[in-house]
Amino acid sequence: MRMKRVRLLMWKEFLQLRRDRLLLPLLFIMPMLYLIMFGYVVGSDVRNLPTAIVDQDRTETSRSIADAFENSGYFIIEERPLSEDAVQPLMDGNRVQVAVLIPPGLEADLERNEQVAVAIVVDGSDSKTASVASGYAQQILGDLNAKRLEDLGFDPDTATIDARVRVLFNPSLRSVNAMIPGLAALILMLSITAIMGQAVVRERERGTLEQMFVTPITRAEYLVGKIAPYVVVAAIQVTVAMVIGAYWFRVPFNGSVLVVGLGLFLFLFTAIGQGIFVSMVSRTRHQAQQATMFIMIPTMVLSGYIFPIESMPETIQPLTYAIPLRYILVILRSNWMKGAGFEALWPQFAAMAAFSVVVFGLALSRFHKRLSD
Amino acid sequence: MALLRKKPAEEATVSDEDVAVSVLGLTKRFGDFTAVDAIDFDVRRGEIFGFLGPNGSGKTTTIRMLCGVIVPTEGTATILGTDVVREPEEIRRHIGYMSQKFSLFQDLTVDENLRFYAGVYGLDEDAFAQRRAYILEMADLVGREKELTANLSVGWKQRLALGCATIHEPDLIFLDEPTSGVDPTARRHFWDLLYDLAANGVTLFVTTHYMDEAAHCNRLAFIYRGRLAAIGTPAQIKQQQMPDSILEVEVDDPERALEVLDSSHAFVEVYASGTALHVNVGRALAGAEAIREVLEPAGFKVLRIERVAPTVEDVFVHLVTAEETSSAEDAGGPGSGDSPQSSDQPL
Repeated sequence: MRMKRVRLLMWKEFLQLRRDRLLLPLLFIMPMLYLIMFGYVVGSDVRNLPTAIVDQDRTETSRSIADAFENSGYFIIEERPLSEDAVQPLMDGNRVQVAVLIPPGLEADLERNEQVAVAIVVDGSDSKTASVASGYAQQILGDLNAKRLEDLGFDPDTATIDARVRVLFNPSLRSVNAMIPGLAALILMLSITAIMGQAVVRERERGTLEQMFVTPITRAEYLVGKIAPYVVVAAIQVTVAMVIGAYWFRVPFNGSVLVVGLGLFLFLFTAIGQGIFVSMVSRTRHQAQQATMFIMIPTMVLSGYIFPIESMPETIQPLTYAIPLRYILVILRSNWMKGAGFEALWPQFAAMAAFSVVVFGLALSRFHKRLSD
Repeated sequence: MALLRKKPAEEATVSDEDVAVSVLGLTKRFGDFTAVDAIDFDVRRGEIFGFLGPNGSGKTTTIRMLCGVIVPTEGTATILGTDVVREPEEIRRHIGYMSQKFSLFQDLTVDENLRFYAGVYGLDEDAFAQRRAYILEMADLVGREKELTANLSVGWKQRLALGCATIHEPDLIFLDEPTSGVDPTARRHFWDLLYDLAANGVTLFVTTHYMDEAAHCNRLAFIYRGRLAAIGTPAQIKQQQMPDSILEVEVDDPERALEVLDSSHAFVEVYASGTALHVNVGRALAGAEAIREVLEPAGFKVLRIERVAPTVEDVFVHLVTAEETSSAEDAGGPGSGDSPQSSDQPL
């Protein structure tokens, strides 16, 4: 490998990139678009959920529960039906998305020091809203319980109010906190896979790829010269996304640059490997686009980026282990917010390393074989 | 040990002097399909060697093996005294290659393309300045150095591509259909450049499907279905391969006349040549009468029938037909056309 020829290839690639009227704007618009999409649209907090409260207890305690929901800002009490039977038609008509059912005798039971349960019914047709709503409800009841404990002098035997809801992993209940850290990996992968595919296939279409291999340029020089410029571009995109995420979206960075950096570095090889695969199976740039979509859709759906893996059907969950993005997302989210280090994240790092070796290695051998046949 | 090593070395120096390309039993198979089937030939230094054949006959596969891009399944090829399988990198430093796509970076300027290829071959600044001036002059591109290659006309692109492929002054240049899609004037101009290169001792290995260009070559090889069908100078090929007589027929509706003559099965071959028809009448002497007897009753106006000297094109049409007939007979007569061997061949 001659550095001189690699530099030459990089120089050529940057010149081409600078003159590409489509690709260059795309490279700058893409991270912004994703930040807006995932920061504001997908990641926005669910607020003002139309809610029904069925208070069958009608005591001071039950009213305080209803008030707590109303004052949280997340729920708007639209209806106060008298019985549970009225809830179903309200949901069917989309009048409410959430119903809080307070059973009769709640205050009396609590005073006898018995556990009581408040049922939270959510409209499951929007799984995202549903899970966020359950989380809020849980939080509200949790706060109430804490206050009760405080009032009663922290007696550990005090009965509490349970919410029949599942616990969400996002403790601060801001879904943007889960979206922004993962964006770094998502942008890296989309950028590298899509652009690498396009850039190599363009050379194949125009015959310049063929020309390269009848010159003294070796395959290794070609690959490095081709990949390096886009790695630089992707690094800039990722940095921009992370800085905007931390400052504009106020997702506090409690992690370490080393952990995030190493995770992204390992993930980079997987992304490059995917890019090479795409460019090897595609004859035209249009085919490269299709191939990229073919990889991207399962990745987005199954990685846990948008839909929590825990909420997927159990038969589907094992599939998520085959998605490289899954591991880097765990690394980014845990490190960014909670500051988790290598000792906690080593299984993810091991998986990332294995993916890098396998995907990148296979892509290289395929690249070599494809050209020598 | 010393003796064993000495002998091939001596042979190499002998062949080095006058043979640029030496091919022996060169074969490439892709799965069941044999793209190139045990071909042998030599190309002498300083000659323009025409490598002809229909699309899919194995021309490009052969060139790619000779450039060391793909590895032959069997056989050997020696380029400028170096074995292609053992030292492909060494060979790539000394050859030039230009394909029909011209392989220029369309989104780079003329100057940037030249600078890139100069860098690839490791030219220093002085050598680059000298070659750049020469190529710009040769390609008639002085004053257009800063233009994007995409905006140049096809003829200019073609000459710039030749310039880039020869920037390192190679001893041997492979040209894979270099004139395809270029207008006749530009083709003429381009061939003048090739003659200049050959006059300076550069060996040119050219593939083309323009039969008139075949006449520009010193020697020709004709490849069909992966096998060499003929090799020699254009004159030799015409003499040895073409015992038949060719009549040129001018008629008012050549397209329909071609069908009528062809379906009469009275002639060896009938095909269009420019605006006229060429009819291979075999060794018959009274061919002209036979043609009139078919065309005139069918209502055609025959303007002219003339015996012409066979062109290279006539020879190749004849060779292809002969190959097709003999391979059909080899495979056992009727129905053999459906055998996987022949239907796999893209033509």
